[in-house]
Amino acid sequence: MSIVETSNISKTYRSGLFKRSVVHALTGVSLSVRQGEIFGLLGPNGAGKTTFVKILLSIVHPTGGEATVAGEKLGDLSIRERSGYLPENHRYPAFLTGLQTLIFFGSLTGMKGKALTDRADRLLELVGLKDWKKVKIKRYSKGMLQRLGLAQALLNDPDLLFLDEPTDGVDPVGRKEIRDLLTSLRSQGKTIFLNSHLLSEVEMISDRVAILNKGKVLKIGTIAELTSKQIEYELLLDRSLGDSVIEKLRPHLRSLNVDGKKLVIASESKVGLNTTLDILRSEGILIESMTQKRTTLEDSFIDLIQREATA
Amino acid sequence: MRHLAMILLTIREAVLRGTLLFYFAVGNIIILFMAYALDVSPDDPSMITFLSNPLLPKNIGNTNPVDFVLIQLQRSSASSILLFGVFAVAGLIPSMLEKGTVELYLSKPLSRTALLLSRASGATAGVALNLIYFAIGIWLVFGIKLAIWHSGFLFSFLFVCIAFLFYFSIVTFVGIVTRSAGFSIMFAFLYTFFSSALESRTKILYQIWNNDIYHTTLDVLYYCTPQLSAMLENSSRIIGKMPFPPDQLSQTFDILPFVYSLLSSAAIYALASFQFAKQDF
Repeated sequence: MSIVETSNISKTYRSGLFKRSVVHALTGVSLSVRQGEIFGLLGPNGAGKTTFVKILLSIVHPTGGEATVAGEKLGDLSIRERSGYLPENHRYPAFLTGLQTLIFFGSLTGMKGKALTDRADRLLELVGLKDWKKVKIKRYSKGMLQRLGLAQALLNDPDLLFLDEPTDGVDPVGRKEIRDLLTSLRSQGKTIFLNSHLLSEVEMISDRVAILNKGKVLKIGTIAELTSKQIEYELLLDRSLGDSVIEKLRPHLRSLNVDGKKLVIASESKVGLNTTLDILRSEGILIESMTQKRTTLEDSFIDLIQREATA
Repeated sequence: MRHLAMILLTIREAVLRGTLLFYFAVGNIIILFMAYALDVSPDDPSMITFLSNPLLPKNIGNTNPVDFVLIQLQRSSASSILLFGVFAVAGLIPSMLEKGTVELYLSKPLSRTALLLSRASGATAGVALNLIYFAIGIWLVFGIKLAIWHSGFLFSFLFVCIAFLFYFSIVTFVGIVTRSAGFSIMFAFLYTFFSSALESRTKILYQIWNNDIYHTTLDVLYYCTPQLSAMLENSSRIIGKMPFPPDQLSQTFDILPFVYSLLSSAAIYALASFQFAKQDF
């Protein structure tokens, strides 16, 4: 079941004299996010990731297309009742303490009284700011502000969480804690929409990802789908391959690179790999070592972006 | 509750501004000085003294001397709050629209109109708190030391606060359109002069160019914008009558400037809200 469903969402910014300068931030973005998954939206700077999330929350108005969030059309206030948002570079009133900040934003979501105070206390403990709750946030570090932002986004116990660069400025231990928290939220049935340029982190926790570039979706799929065709094997042989052997191998492989005794191959299936090994053995070539080189999401991402640039 | 949270935060933000703190400090000094300076003559209990000197023992024209002093205090505090108040809170609308802040507010289940009006109400309330504090302080001094409990004086400040709320619609609109605190402050001050000029348009501006279209334009502008000068003038008339200027036709309180300003400021707030609703952040 989809909790976010978009169809041909477009956003064009016009500026300058007579609004003649046009920037297409998003062009026909269609995707769906399933309930209970962590969905990563990836893209280089300026790809339109933040604009897309802002459109879902009606902070930015789309130029075209349609979307539903939690079953409601864009602009419906109930979307914001059921969602939490951690924007990039968020700023809080510096004269408030951490606890006061959460109480204020909790009040804006309609919470009140002891339930709100208890919830704020629990969240501050969850994000590791319990000892800082009475300190004015102007004294908080970037990482602490990010943790506070996450607590703020979780105040109303949202079904859908939009996080824009949630680990920005957070130390490695804190990042691990945030990843664990997000995983735990997923296990509670929450849906998490993650905007990030930290591909390794997205790869670790996302169920599915979409790659966005210049306002267009280049690819959507699971991490495995995005990287499976990229599995490569590096073989170290006892001697260099002759041209005739290479020609025998080529039809069975997606790619083949020879560098002296080193052979790097990529195959669409296991059959291709095994056929390669059979051919090598039949030619009397000994394999000294074989290592799997699984292409990371980052490799796939860069490959996609570069292909898009050259297209 | 949601609106109240935003109003309370804005009040807190407003009263923490240095300019309002300065106004608060000056207000306290004036209250303390009045408490020290005002007294009843020990020889004649009907005689009010100021720094041990008799305070205007006779009426000035048809004006009661106490009313005269209170009107002066009310006018000076109302004028200065326009200066300090606008300077202090004009930035509250653009600061709400800053990147990183506005996204947080707009992601909460609060409509943009409610958000904007809560912010404007909070800004006005921050200024009003200062004004009311000063008014109550002076009122208590006159009551406790002179046994004069002048309710009209207190009531007049309520109208100054209302005038500020109407006046703030201009600041809100400019803040929304330009997203600049500096521009909002500058425009607010320009509007103060503009409003005074429009108030006396028949005597001064009409004389500049004897043209019906020009005169009509001035009239339209007068009725389509908050009538700041007229509202302030009328708020002080609640206290009593002034002996001058002698050619003043009427010195009785007139509610019409408030009614016109209510309508015009409601339209300006609606326009600001419409503009805010259209904007992307």
